[in-house]
Amino acid sequence: MMLLKLTQNELFKIFSLTRSYIGLILFTGIVPLILWGYGMGTSHIEGQIENSVSEMFFIEGSPTNGFTAAYFIMNFFWLHIPFLLALVGGDIFAGEHANGTFRVYATRPISRLSIYLSKTLATMIYTLVFVIYFGLLTLGLGLVWHGGGDMLVFHEGVLILEGSDALGRFFIAYGFSFVNMALVSAIAIFFSTMVRNAIGPVIGTMALFIFVLMISTLPLDIFRGIQPYLFTTYFSNWEKAFYDPIPWGDLFRGLGLIVSNLVMFLGMAYIIFHRKDILS
Amino acid sequence: MPEIDLQEPPELVQSKSTSEAAIECFGLSKTFKTIKAVDNVSLTVPRGSIFGFLGPNGAGKSTLIRILTGLIHSDSGSFSILGRPSSMGYQVRQDMSALVDRADFYKNLSAFQNMKMLGRLTGHEQTDHVNELLNLLGLYERRFDKVKTYSQGMKQRLGLAQALLPNPKLLVLDEPTTGLDPQGMHEIRDFILKIAEEQNVTVFLSSHLLHEVELICSDIAMIFNGKLAAQGSINTIFSNMDSVTVELEVADTPKALQYLETADMVSDLKQHANALSIMIRFDKIPELVRQLTDRKIDIFSISQRNRLESYFLSMMEGK
Repeated sequence: MMLLKLTQNELFKIFSLTRSYIGLILFTGIVPLILWGYGMGTSHIEGQIENSVSEMFFIEGSPTNGFTAAYFIMNFFWLHIPFLLALVGGDIFAGEHANGTFRVYATRPISRLSIYLSKTLATMIYTLVFVIYFGLLTLGLGLVWHGGGDMLVFHEGVLILEGSDALGRFFIAYGFSFVNMALVSAIAIFFSTMVRNAIGPVIGTMALFIFVLMISTLPLDIFRGIQPYLFTTYFSNWEKAFYDPIPWGDLFRGLGLIVSNLVMFLGMAYIIFHRKDILS
Repeated sequence: MPEIDLQEPPELVQSKSTSEAAIECFGLSKTFKTIKAVDNVSLTVPRGSIFGFLGPNGAGKSTLIRILTGLIHSDSGSFSILGRPSSMGYQVRQDMSALVDRADFYKNLSAFQNMKMLGRLTGHEQTDHVNELLNLLGLYERRFDKVKTYSQGMKQRLGLAQALLPNPKLLVLDEPTTGLDPQGMHEIRDFILKIAEEQNVTVFLSSHLLHEVELICSDIAMIFNGKLAAQGSINTIFSNMDSVTVELEVADTPKALQYLETADMVSDLKQHANALSIMIRFDKIPELVRQLTDRKIDIFSISQRNRLESYFLSMMEGK
């Protein structure tokens, strides 16, 4: 009950901050713009696809429809969303230190575990809301704007997915993306428990993310040995939801590593927060 | 000058059984890197008292308060609050509320929203209760305004309102009048007296404003360099004081000086511009006045320096 009330408070605080809306506003502006541009500038792609594929297959609807647009946008944004999520996750503990409001909370008869869990839970809920909003905006608006139909996926050739099948795969892709983004939020929470200003955790999260991403993508032999153990190696795993057949083994192996990283960062964050002296 | 042995603070300790104590500390210590902020402090705060916790800046007052309020962990020692031992963890703060350092809020929210949110944590978020407290502290009319538009005095009053939300039996206030103008300080003082009397709340008040403490506190403790130097009721401390500091302004300063230098009842004579400062036993002040007037020395003013200040300074010198 107490956890519920605390989480309610944390969500209220998150959604009363302007920074929490930066990402949402950004996507509200840019996704329709991309969708509009997508509609304006794909006629030549559409023509090429139809010329090369229509002799072998009958494609229902336009090949550059809402599904393909949503897939295109997801491909583009999975690297950018972490920056926007870090703005909120990085502020969740450090912001309270900077404002001096931790003193108000921590002097109440509430355990630090409850405070920690409520803040973590609220951040994860925000992350989920963010991913859902992103999904609704890209897929929902994409379908409304460009209509449905068969979805073309370019993976080891051209893969054509039926509209009804594509929708289910989008849900799987968004589900895996949420776990990835939850890890970004967990890293931001971890940094947030360490410092007393909100800028540090945002920079720290992004620095770590970029550093690990670079190592996981650089095609150098010295990094090959550790690449399977780096979380960023699996950040684009959501794409596998559109393979045929879906490589569930690969997906869950990646999920296991992401979740274990998530637990590790959240665990370390709790230990730091529990032992922390609140001096400001 | 009072004889003070800093190694023997229990000299002034009133013996209180555990059931009568609102706060009891047993050998609390806390070190920050190489600085011993709190050094083996044992302290007893009687229930129902307004307890003044005194010390110069950096003496360890805030550190001790932060230990008691769960903001920092002590290195050693233990404490109990209203009979609950510190081993109970956060539950030790069940009937306690605190305003530590300055009052801080979610400035983008209104006073009402801040109160509701905090009240929700202890089941005291009822609108009537929140409004009643805001009214009591004179913030009702502005309750829907964002806190960032409040003056420092209003913020401090809102901090007190927040502290009173859970109807505490013990209220810990760390420098509650910091940053306030004289009127604001006066209002907070009156308010502390009012809640202590009407709601039977024990108040643990940390301050370096000796005048403020002398006006409202029944008991005090003093801390210097992290060590507890003295504790007890103000009356006990004052009755143990041999002398008080008196400041005089007279028409003929050289003549007064001539007399005072030879008067047995006077010690520690100092001259500051036209004023004279002396140490004298409290019951000898009327005789001093008589002696000066008998010598045709006109007295413009005679004032006793704040007794607590005298005591505090004597402790500082003894330190």
